[in-house]
Amino acid sequence: MKRLALLIVILSGGLLLYATKDFPSWGDPNSPASTHVSPRYLEKSLEETAVPNVVTAVLADYRGYDTMFETTVIFCAGVACFMLLRKFEPEERDLYYRHIPTGLTLHIKGEKQIPSTSKEFEKIDAIWTPYDFIINTVSRFLVPFIQLFALYVIAHGHHSPGGGFQGGVILGASIIVLAVAFNLRTAVRRFGEKIDGIMSALGVFIYAGVGAFCAILGAEFLNYRALAKILPVGKVMARSHGILAVEIGVGIAVMAVMICIYNNVASEGKFDEGL
Amino acid sequence: MVLNGVVMVLMFCGLVFFTGGGIGILRFPDFYTRLHPAGKLDTLGSLLMMTSVAIFNLHEITLSNALTSLKIMLIVVFVFISSPTATHAIMDAGVRAGLRPWEKGMPRG
Repeated sequence: MKRLALLIVILSGGLLLYATKDFPSWGDPNSPASTHVSPRYLEKSLEETAVPNVVTAVLADYRGYDTMFETTVIFCAGVACFMLLRKFEPEERDLYYRHIPTGLTLHIKGEKQIPSTSKEFEKIDAIWTPYDFIINTVSRFLVPFIQLFALYVIAHGHHSPGGGFQGGVILGASIIVLAVAFNLRTAVRRFGEKIDGIMSALGVFIYAGVGAFCAILGAEFLNYRALAKILPVGKVMARSHGILAVEIGVGIAVMAVMICIYNNVASEGKFDEGL
Repeated sequence: MVLNGVVMVLMFCGLVFFTGGGIGILRFPDFYTRLHPAGKLDTLGSLLMMTSVAIFNLHEITLSNALTSLKIMLIVVFVFISSPTATHAIMDAGVRAGLRPWEKGMPRG
Protein backbone atom coordinates (compact mmCIF):
# COMPACT_ATOMS: atom_id res chain seq x y z
CA MET A 1 0.00 0.00 0.00
CA LYS A 2 2.76 2.40 0.96
CA ARG A 3 4.66 1.60 -2.20
CA LEU A 4 1.54 2.18 -4.30
CA ALA A 5 1.03 5.56 -2.65
CA LEU A 6 4.66 6.48 -3.23
CA LEU A 7 4.35 5.44 -6.88
CA ILE A 8 1.26 7.60 -7.33
CA VAL A 9 2.95 10.56 -5.67
CA ILE A 10 6.05 10.22 -7.85
CA LEU A 11 3.98 9.82 -11.01
CA SER A 12 1.75 12.81 -10.36
CA GLY A 13 4.73 14.88 -9.25
CA GLY A 14 6.57 13.97 -12.42
CA LEU A 15 3.53 14.87 -14.47
CA LEU A 16 3.35 18.29 -12.80
CA LEU A 17 7.06 18.87 -13.38
CA TYR A 18 6.62 17.84 -17.01
CA ALA A 19 3.77 20.30 -17.40
CA THR A 20 5.80 23.22 -16.01
CA LYS A 21 7.83 23.12 -19.23
CA ASP A 22 4.87 24.64 -21.08
CA PHE A 23 4.64 27.62 -18.72
CA PRO A 24 5.62 31.01 -20.10
CA SER A 25 9.05 31.97 -18.84
CA TRP A 26 9.45 34.11 -15.73
CA GLY A 27 8.40 37.72 -16.29
CA ASP A 28 7.59 37.17 -19.97
CA PRO A 29 5.72 40.29 -21.24
CA ASN A 30 3.93 38.21 -23.88
CA SER A 31 2.50 35.66 -21.45
CA PRO A 32 -1.31 35.44 -21.33
CA ALA A 33 -1.40 36.76 -17.77
CA SER A 34 0.20 40.08 -18.69
CA THR A 35 -1.39 40.74 -22.09
CA HIS A 36 -5.15 40.78 -21.48
CA VAL A 37 -6.37 42.60 -18.39
CA SER A 38 -3.30 43.57 -16.39
CA PRO A 39 -2.17 46.41 -18.71
CA ARG A 40 -5.65 47.85 -18.49
CA TYR A 41 -5.65 47.68 -14.69
CA LEU A 42 -2.23 49.28 -14.53
CA GLU A 43 -3.14 52.09 -16.92
CA LYS A 44 -6.73 52.81 -16.00
CA SER A 45 -7.20 51.97 -12.33
CA LEU A 46 -6.13 55.38 -11.04
CA GLU A 47 -8.46 57.37 -13.27
CA GLU A 48 -11.34 54.94 -12.85
CA THR A 49 -11.24 54.41 -9.09
CA ALA A 50 -8.99 57.18 -7.68
CA VAL A 51 -7.01 54.54 -5.76
CA PRO A 52 -3.23 54.82 -6.21
CA ASN A 53 -2.63 51.26 -4.98
CA VAL A 54 -3.49 49.01 -7.93
CA VAL A 55 -3.66 45.91 -5.75
CA THR A 56 -6.43 47.38 -3.61
CA ALA A 57 -8.33 48.57 -6.67
CA VAL A 58 -8.21 45.12 -8.28
CA LEU A 59 -8.95 43.27 -5.05
CA ALA A 60 -11.93 45.24 -3.79
CA ASP A 61 -13.36 46.75 -6.94
CA TYR A 62 -12.60 44.92 -10.19
CA ARG A 63 -12.62 41.54 -8.45
CA GLY A 64 -15.10 42.43 -5.74
CA TYR A 65 -17.04 39.16 -5.99
CA ASP A 66 -13.91 37.13 -5.44
CA THR A 67 -13.00 39.07 -2.28
CA MET A 68 -16.55 38.90 -0.99
CA PHE A 69 -16.50 35.12 -1.10
CA GLU A 70 -13.00 35.09 0.34
CA THR A 71 -14.43 36.92 3.35
CA THR A 72 -17.23 34.38 3.44
CA VAL A 73 -14.69 31.55 3.41
CA ILE A 74 -12.98 33.10 6.45
CA PHE A 75 -16.35 33.43 8.17
CA CYS A 76 -17.09 29.76 7.38
CA ALA A 77 -13.72 28.77 8.88
CA GLY A 78 -14.67 30.55 12.10
CA VAL A 79 -18.09 28.91 12.17
CA ALA A 80 -16.59 25.47 11.48
CA CYS A 81 -14.08 25.91 14.31
CA PHE A 82 -16.89 26.94 16.65
CA MET A 83 -19.14 24.02 15.66
CA LEU A 84 -16.39 21.41 15.94
CA LEU A 85 -14.72 22.51 19.15
CA ARG A 86 -17.09 24.48 21.34
CA LYS A 87 -18.41 22.55 24.36
CA PHE A 88 -21.22 23.95 26.47
CA GLU A 89 -21.80 21.26 29.11
CA PRO A 90 -19.58 22.01 32.09
CA GLU A 91 -17.39 19.00 32.76
CA GLU A 92 -16.75 17.85 36.26
CA ARG A 93 -13.24 18.96 36.93
CA ASP A 94 -10.83 20.38 39.41
CA LEU A 95 -10.86 24.10 40.01
CA TYR A 96 -8.00 26.13 41.40
CA TYR A 97 -8.33 29.40 43.26
CA ARG A 98 -5.82 31.68 44.86
CA HIS A 99 -6.57 33.51 48.07
CA ILE A 100 -5.33 36.95 47.17
CA PRO A 101 -4.33 38.30 50.65
CA THR A 102 -2.31 35.24 51.66
CA GLY A 103 -1.34 33.74 48.33
CA LEU A 104 -2.62 30.28 49.30
CA THR A 105 -3.87 28.04 46.52
CA LEU A 106 -7.22 26.32 46.92
CA HIS A 107 -8.10 23.14 45.07
CA ILE A 108 -11.82 22.39 44.77
CA LYS A 109 -13.17 19.12 43.39
CA GLY A 110 -16.67 18.46 42.15
CA GLU A 111 -19.42 20.88 41.29
CA LYS A 112 -18.91 23.56 43.92
CA GLN A 113 -17.19 26.74 42.93
CA ILE A 114 -16.48 30.19 44.27
CA PRO A 115 -18.48 32.93 42.49
CA SER A 116 -16.39 34.85 40.02
CA THR A 117 -17.36 38.15 41.70
CA SER A 118 -15.42 37.22 44.83
CA LYS A 119 -12.87 39.82 45.86
CA GLU A 120 -10.73 37.51 47.97
CA PHE A 121 -10.41 34.58 45.61
CA GLU A 122 -9.03 34.62 42.09
CA LYS A 123 -9.49 31.73 39.71
CA ILE A 124 -6.24 30.41 38.28
CA ASP A 125 -5.44 27.92 35.55
CA ALA A 126 -4.74 24.30 36.38
CA ILE A 127 -1.28 24.59 34.88
CA TRP A 128 -0.57 27.92 36.45
CA THR A 129 2.56 29.88 35.77
CA PRO A 130 2.95 33.13 37.68
CA TYR A 131 2.34 36.12 35.47
CA ASP A 132 5.52 37.78 34.44
CA PHE A 133 5.61 41.44 35.38
CA ILE A 134 7.66 42.52 32.38
CA ILE A 135 5.53 40.69 29.81
CA ASN A 136 2.28 41.91 31.37
CA THR A 137 3.35 45.54 31.48
CA VAL A 138 4.79 45.61 27.98
CA SER A 139 1.83 43.87 26.38
CA ARG A 140 -0.63 46.16 28.16
CA PHE A 141 1.39 49.14 26.95
CA LEU A 142 1.62 47.87 23.37
CA VAL A 143 -1.99 46.79 22.77
CA PRO A 144 -3.38 50.29 22.03
CA PHE A 145 -0.52 50.99 19.64
CA ILE A 146 -1.10 47.69 17.86
CA GLN A 147 -4.78 48.54 17.47
CA LEU A 148 -4.00 52.04 16.23
CA PHE A 149 -1.59 50.60 13.67
CA ALA A 150 -4.24 48.09 12.58
CA LEU A 151 -6.74 50.88 11.96
CA TYR A 152 -4.04 52.73 10.00
CA VAL A 153 -3.39 49.64 7.88
CA ILE A 154 -7.11 49.27 7.11
CA ALA A 155 -7.67 52.95 6.34
CA HIS A 156 -4.44 53.48 4.44
CA GLY A 157 -4.89 50.47 2.15
CA HIS A 158 -5.72 52.85 -0.70
CA HIS A 159 -2.25 54.36 -0.70
CA SER A 160 0.14 51.78 0.68
CA PRO A 161 0.34 48.02 1.14
CA GLY A 162 -2.40 46.96 3.50
CA GLY A 163 -6.13 46.64 3.64
CA GLY A 164 -8.87 44.79 5.43
CA PHE A 165 -7.28 41.36 5.68
CA GLN A 166 -3.95 42.56 7.06
CA GLY A 167 -5.47 45.14 9.38
CA GLY A 168 -8.02 42.63 10.66
CA VAL A 169 -5.31 40.12 11.51
CA ILE A 170 -3.37 42.80 13.42
CA LEU A 171 -6.52 43.80 15.32
CA GLY A 172 -7.15 40.17 16.22
CA ALA A 173 -3.52 39.77 17.30
CA SER A 174 -3.90 42.67 19.76
CA ILE A 175 -6.55 40.69 21.67
CA ILE A 176 -4.61 37.42 21.34
CA VAL A 177 -1.57 39.14 22.90
CA LEU A 178 -3.73 39.79 25.96
CA ALA A 179 -4.76 36.14 26.08
CA VAL A 180 -1.14 35.00 25.87
CA ALA A 181 0.32 37.50 28.33
CA PHE A 182 -2.45 37.25 30.95
CA ASN A 183 -4.92 34.42 30.51
CA LEU A 184 -7.82 33.49 28.30
CA ARG A 185 -10.44 34.76 30.74
CA THR A 186 -8.97 38.28 30.64
CA ALA A 187 -9.16 38.33 26.87
CA VAL A 188 -12.69 36.94 26.78
CA ARG A 189 -13.78 39.51 29.37
CA ARG A 190 -12.48 42.29 27.10
CA PHE A 191 -13.91 40.84 23.91
CA GLY A 192 -16.77 38.47 24.68
CA GLU A 193 -17.82 35.43 22.75
CA LYS A 194 -21.24 36.75 21.81
CA ILE A 195 -19.90 40.02 20.45
CA ASP A 196 -17.23 38.06 18.61
CA GLY A 197 -19.83 35.92 16.85
CA ILE A 198 -21.95 38.93 15.98
CA MET A 199 -18.97 40.87 14.60
CA SER A 200 -17.74 38.03 12.40
CA ALA A 201 -21.16 37.91 10.75
CA LEU A 202 -21.41 41.71 10.71
CA GLY A 203 -18.24 42.01 8.66
CA VAL A 204 -19.57 39.78 5.90
CA PHE A 205 -22.91 41.57 6.15
CA ILE A 206 -21.26 44.97 5.63
CA TYR A 207 -19.50 43.70 2.50
CA ALA A 208 -22.57 42.07 0.98
CA GLY A 209 -24.71 44.97 2.22
CA VAL A 210 -22.65 47.55 0.36
CA GLY A 211 -23.02 45.40 -2.76
CA ALA A 212 -26.77 45.06 -2.31
CA PHE A 213 -27.07 48.76 -1.59
CA CYS A 214 -25.46 49.51 -4.94
CA ALA A 215 -28.03 47.20 -6.55
CA ILE A 216 -30.86 49.04 -4.76
CA LEU A 217 -29.50 52.36 -6.05
CA GLY A 218 -29.84 51.08 -9.60
CA ALA A 219 -26.43 49.77 -10.61
CA GLU A 220 -25.04 46.23 -10.67
CA PHE A 221 -24.22 44.35 -7.49
CA LEU A 222 -20.98 45.77 -6.01
CA ASN A 223 -20.77 48.57 -8.59
CA TYR A 224 -19.72 51.35 -6.22
CA ARG A 225 -20.35 54.03 -8.85
CA ALA A 226 -23.98 54.02 -7.70
CA LEU A 227 -22.94 55.33 -4.29
CA ALA A 228 -22.38 58.75 -5.91
CA LYS A 229 -26.13 59.25 -5.68
CA ILE A 230 -26.04 59.45 -1.88
CA LEU A 231 -22.47 60.57 -1.22
CA PRO A 232 -21.52 64.16 -2.02
CA VAL A 233 -18.71 63.07 -4.36
CA GLY A 234 -18.22 62.20 -8.00
CA LYS A 235 -18.57 58.71 -9.46
CA VAL A 236 -14.83 58.04 -9.35
CA MET A 237 -14.45 59.06 -5.73
CA ALA A 238 -17.56 57.02 -4.89
CA ARG A 239 -15.71 53.91 -6.03
CA SER A 240 -12.83 54.81 -3.73
CA HIS A 241 -15.19 55.25 -0.77
CA GLY A 242 -16.99 52.01 -1.62
CA ILE A 243 -13.65 50.20 -1.44
CA LEU A 244 -13.03 51.69 2.01
CA ALA A 245 -16.46 50.55 3.28
CA VAL A 246 -15.82 47.05 1.98
CA GLU A 247 -12.35 46.94 3.55
CA ILE A 248 -13.84 47.88 6.92
CA GLY A 249 -16.23 44.95 6.61
CA VAL A 250 -13.36 42.60 5.75
CA GLY A 251 -11.34 43.93 8.70
CA ILE A 252 -14.15 43.32 11.20
CA ALA A 253 -14.82 39.80 9.91
CA VAL A 254 -11.15 38.77 9.89
CA MET A 255 -10.54 40.17 13.39
CA ALA A 256 -13.52 38.37 14.91
CA VAL A 257 -12.73 35.07 13.20
CA MET A 258 -9.07 35.18 14.29
CA ILE A 259 -10.09 35.65 17.92
CA CYS A 260 -12.79 32.98 17.65
CA ILE A 261 -10.37 30.41 16.24
CA TYR A 262 -7.70 31.22 18.81
CA ASN A 263 -10.10 30.98 21.76
CA ASN A 264 -11.61 27.73 20.60
CA VAL A 265 -8.34 26.01 19.79
CA ALA A 266 -6.43 27.25 22.85
CA SER A 267 -9.09 26.20 25.36
CA GLU A 268 -10.34 23.10 23.51
CA GLY A 269 -13.74 24.75 23.24
CA LYS A 270 -14.26 25.30 26.96
CA PHE A 271 -13.36 29.01 27.00
CA ASP A 272 -12.04 28.93 30.54
CA GLU A 273 -8.32 28.40 30.37
CA GLY A 274 -5.59 27.56 27.96
CA LEU A 275 -2.20 28.82 26.91
CA MET B 1 28.66 65.47 3.16
CA VAL B 2 28.87 65.32 6.95
CA LEU B 3 25.42 63.75 6.92
CA ASN B 4 26.57 61.03 4.53
CA GLY B 5 29.53 60.30 6.78
CA VAL B 6 27.25 59.92 9.80
CA VAL B 7 24.93 57.64 7.82
CA MET B 8 27.84 55.46 6.69
CA VAL B 9 29.28 55.13 10.19
CA LEU B 10 25.90 54.22 11.70
CA MET B 11 25.14 51.74 8.91
CA PHE B 12 28.56 50.12 9.34
CA CYS B 13 28.09 49.79 13.10
CA GLY B 14 24.67 48.25 12.54
CA LEU B 15 26.15 45.74 10.09
CA VAL B 16 28.85 44.81 12.63
CA PHE B 17 26.21 44.09 15.25
CA PHE B 18 24.06 42.08 12.83
CA THR B 19 27.08 40.05 11.75
CA GLY B 20 27.95 39.39 15.38
CA GLY B 21 24.38 38.30 16.03
CA GLY B 22 24.42 35.94 13.06
CA ILE B 23 27.72 34.36 14.07
CA GLY B 24 26.54 34.11 17.67
CA ILE B 25 23.36 32.25 16.79
CA LEU B 26 25.39 29.74 14.80
CA ARG B 27 28.28 29.31 17.21
CA PHE B 28 26.89 29.45 20.76
CA PRO B 29 26.35 26.08 22.44
CA ASP B 30 22.75 26.04 23.68
CA PHE B 31 19.27 27.60 23.70
CA TYR B 32 19.87 30.35 26.27
CA THR B 33 23.20 31.51 24.93
CA ARG B 34 21.84 31.54 21.38
CA LEU B 35 18.94 33.73 22.38
CA HIS B 36 21.40 36.24 23.80
CA PRO B 37 22.78 37.39 20.41
CA ALA B 38 19.38 36.94 18.78
CA GLY B 39 17.73 39.29 21.25
CA LYS B 40 20.35 41.88 22.04
CA LEU B 41 22.44 42.33 18.92
CA ASP B 42 19.45 42.36 16.58
CA THR B 43 17.83 45.10 18.63
CA LEU B 44 20.92 47.28 18.68
CA GLY B 45 21.71 46.51 15.04
CA SER B 46 18.24 47.49 13.88
CA LEU B 47 18.38 50.61 16.06
CA LEU B 48 21.57 51.78 14.33
CA MET B 49 20.44 50.78 10.83
CA MET B 50 17.04 52.42 11.15
CA THR B 51 18.55 55.59 12.55
CA SER B 52 20.94 55.78 9.65
CA VAL B 53 18.11 55.25 7.16
CA ALA B 54 16.05 57.95 8.89
CA ILE B 55 18.97 60.40 8.69
CA PHE B 56 19.66 59.51 5.07
CA ASN B 57 16.03 60.23 4.27
CA LEU B 58 16.52 63.81 5.52
CA HIS B 59 19.00 64.80 2.79
CA GLU B 60 16.54 67.52 1.80
CA ILE B 61 14.34 68.59 4.65
CA THR B 62 10.68 68.73 3.66
CA LEU B 63 7.58 67.96 5.69
CA SER B 64 6.90 64.62 3.98
CA ASN B 65 10.51 63.49 4.40
CA ALA B 66 10.46 64.46 8.05
CA LEU B 67 7.24 62.49 8.51
CA THR B 68 8.77 59.40 6.91
CA SER B 69 11.82 59.71 9.17
CA LEU B 70 9.52 60.05 12.18
CA LYS B 71 7.75 56.82 11.19
CA ILE B 72 11.09 55.03 10.86
CA MET B 73 12.10 56.24 14.32
CA LEU B 74 8.76 54.99 15.68
CA ILE B 75 9.60 51.52 14.33
CA VAL B 76 12.87 51.76 16.29
CA VAL B 77 11.00 52.66 19.49
CA PHE B 78 8.62 49.73 19.22
CA VAL B 79 11.31 47.23 18.22
CA PHE B 80 13.32 48.47 21.18
CA ILE B 81 10.43 47.72 23.53
CA SER B 82 9.05 44.51 22.06
CA SER B 83 12.12 42.58 20.94
CA PRO B 84 13.78 42.28 24.40
CA THR B 85 10.39 41.43 25.89
CA ALA B 86 9.90 38.63 23.39
CA THR B 87 13.39 37.29 24.16
CA HIS B 88 12.62 37.49 27.87
CA ALA B 89 9.36 35.55 27.37
CA ILE B 90 11.11 32.79 25.41
CA MET B 91 13.86 32.53 28.06
CA ASP B 92 11.23 32.39 30.79
CA ALA B 93 9.37 29.61 29.00
CA GLY B 94 12.63 27.68 28.67
CA VAL B 95 13.34 27.96 32.41
CA ARG B 96 9.79 26.93 33.34
CA ALA B 97 9.90 23.96 30.97
CA GLY B 98 12.97 22.77 32.89
CA LEU B 99 15.65 23.19 30.26
CA ARG B 100 19.06 23.16 31.91
CA PRO B 101 21.67 25.68 30.88
CA TRP B 102 24.75 24.38 29.14
CA GLU B 103 27.87 23.78 31.17
CA LYS B 104 31.40 23.09 30.12
CA GLY B 105 31.84 19.50 29.02
CA MET B 106 28.22 18.90 28.07
CA PRO B 107 27.35 18.16 24.41
CA ARG B 108 26.36 21.21 22.40
CA GLY B 109 22.58 21.21 21.92
